[in-house]
Amino acid sequence: MSKGDTAANTLQQHLQQLSDAFALRLQEELPALGQSAERLLQIADPQEQVQQLQSLRDQLHKLAGTAGTFGFSSLGQRARELELDADQWLHTLQQEQQGLQAFSHSLQLLAKQEFQSDPKQMPAPQKAPLTKPMQSTRRIYILEDQLAIGENMRQTLNNFGYQAEHFSRIAELDAALQQQLPDALIVDVNLPDESLTGLQYAAGLQERLAEPLPLLVITTQNDFATHLEAVRVGAMGFFTKPVDIPQLENRLERCFSQQQGEPYRVLVIDDDRELASRFSLILRGANMRVEMLYEPAEIFARMRDFNPEVILLDVNMPDCTGPELAQIIRMNDEWLRVPIIYLSAETDINRQMSALIKAGDDFVTKPISDNALVAAVFSRAQRARLLSNALSRDSLTGLLKHADIKEQAAVELERALRSGKPASVGMLDIDFFKKVNDNYGHAAGDNVIRALANLLRQRLRRIDSLGRYGGEEFLVVLPDCTAEQAWGVLDEIRQRFAELTFIASGSEFSVTLSAGVASTADTSNSASELLEKADQALYAAKHGGRNQVR
Amino acid sequence: MPDLQRILHVEDDPSIQAVAKIALEAVGGFQVLSCSSGQDALDQLQGFAPDFILLDVMMPNMNGPQTLARIARLIDINHVPVVFMTAKVQPAEIAHYRSLGARDVIIKPFDPMQLAAQVRKIWSQVHE
Repeated sequence: MSKGDTAANTLQQHLQQLSDAFALRLQEELPALGQSAERLLQIADPQEQVQQLQSLRDQLHKLAGTAGTFGFSSLGQRARELELDADQWLHTLQQEQQGLQAFSHSLQLLAKQEFQSDPKQMPAPQKAPLTKPMQSTRRIYILEDQLAIGENMRQTLNNFGYQAEHFSRIAELDAALQQQLPDALIVDVNLPDESLTGLQYAAGLQERLAEPLPLLVITTQNDFATHLEAVRVGAMGFFTKPVDIPQLENRLERCFSQQQGEPYRVLVIDDDRELASRFSLILRGANMRVEMLYEPAEIFARMRDFNPEVILLDVNMPDCTGPELAQIIRMNDEWLRVPIIYLSAETDINRQMSALIKAGDDFVTKPISDNALVAAVFSRAQRARLLSNALSRDSLTGLLKHADIKEQAAVELERALRSGKPASVGMLDIDFFKKVNDNYGHAAGDNVIRALANLLRQRLRRIDSLGRYGGEEFLVVLPDCTAEQAWGVLDEIRQRFAELTFIASGSEFSVTLSAGVASTADTSNSASELLEKADQALYAAKHGGRNQVR
Repeated sequence: MPDLQRILHVEDDPSIQAVAKIALEAVGGFQVLSCSSGQDALDQLQGFAPDFILLDVMMPNMNGPQTLARIARLIDINHVPVVFMTAKVQPAEIAHYRSLGARDVIIKPFDPMQLAAQVRKIWSQVHE
């Protein structure tokens, strides 16, 4: 093989050594960081406290910049979040002690966690703050000259867990943009007091930025020309007034989830290690996560641990041929959905056919250009993921379906029993949902369901699971969370949901929800008993007058 | 396009220094001189005569921007591109670094497998 390939192999060995050394270093640095965080709270002198916070911020900055390079990407991300947190404290100087305490605790938790390098999946963090920490909230700027509309939008988006700010004038928005860029911008087209329309302003702004901002447009002009102009400045959504804010929020959510798509997972199986590392270098270059497998016998463990979305498989291997291995993979129902692409120098069409018929999906011949390889893998991976999501996720809300969320509840119950830490489940049901459908139509009903799904997603932690249990019923599973904590979280969601205003056929309406909580602390046996308890609590909430959590 | 051979890397964190050196030498085939501080870089600058400079932003004593300002007095940074490496990713900050004379910004954490390609890409843009 070429010199470059050999170098890449040696490089990987070196990198592994460096990564191991870094892991050792972390064992000293993280506890020290935790101690500094603890000290932060003991300092009485405000100036000294600021200095300590600055020093912590700098240490976190370093960690954020280095950890990912050595494969500790989740540690790096967490450090980055906390760095931004510290930064925000330093900038606003609103050092309320309570908030600072939360920061210090998060940092101490980080220091106590055990981090593993990628690609092994991180175990769910044992303790995470119950509501999402401040820094992970998305910042949204709204340019709207009508005060009432802008303020209403700001408040509603804040209820959804965004950090929204409203500006009536372009000059005010410009000043804020100098300070900090938002994650998305919402502009009103008609600004009679300004010399520019909202779209003209947005066009100029996008040109000044290194990367365009996600942009949503609101307007009273629902005509083709305005649509076209909006598309040309890169708008990702277009809403006519009066704006249905939950719908707008749904679009924001989609923009963001597109942005942070997880890299595709590809498993390369080839007994030629140099070729395998070359392929993986190319695919990693296209932002995919790649693992290599040289020993076909290790396939089961690797499929389980790495859970690839596409398999690139060499046809000719000494102990076990590609088609044989493909058939072994296909014998397992769980892996039926994973596309298998054969890699071979084989150009004999007939032999290709017979290989394909035995369980593969596609064929690429070596040598293959970098672009062709990336394209072949990318299109397969994309479709596989779409399909997999469509099969296990509810199409309206994108949440887990009934069977999957129930299974999740069982898994968490078991984990709770093992670890001795309580887990809770919450059953939520929209009050008088039938009336929404009857009075405003099914589209409005769907909108309400989607809004609740998005609200739940925004307000819950990453380790929580969320599913659509039935028509207007949702189930949330909250690991490491007592019944009281779960009650608090759900009651906050209940209040925020009640504050949302929906719009359908010209009229505005609001909806409430009821919820029931059950914890593993009160139930020792089965998941079905746990769900039954939550259901009973929900029933009590309904009969106690609705719009409440029991 | 002139050949890219010598890269000066300024970084105070020894782990990152080591990984960047290996990544640039093994993957990119470049010759790398690592410096642990801005002052160290200034001392080595003329002797090593780099084609390309990678500069960490946050360093004690003399930070990245300060080092860049001093470098610019010694050599022509239009011909020897200086690129910052930083974990700050706000577009406004990137624009700020460019206004200081940095040719580009490489975001930390970087992927060691990709670093050489990123450097080459910037190099080819400079010489377009």
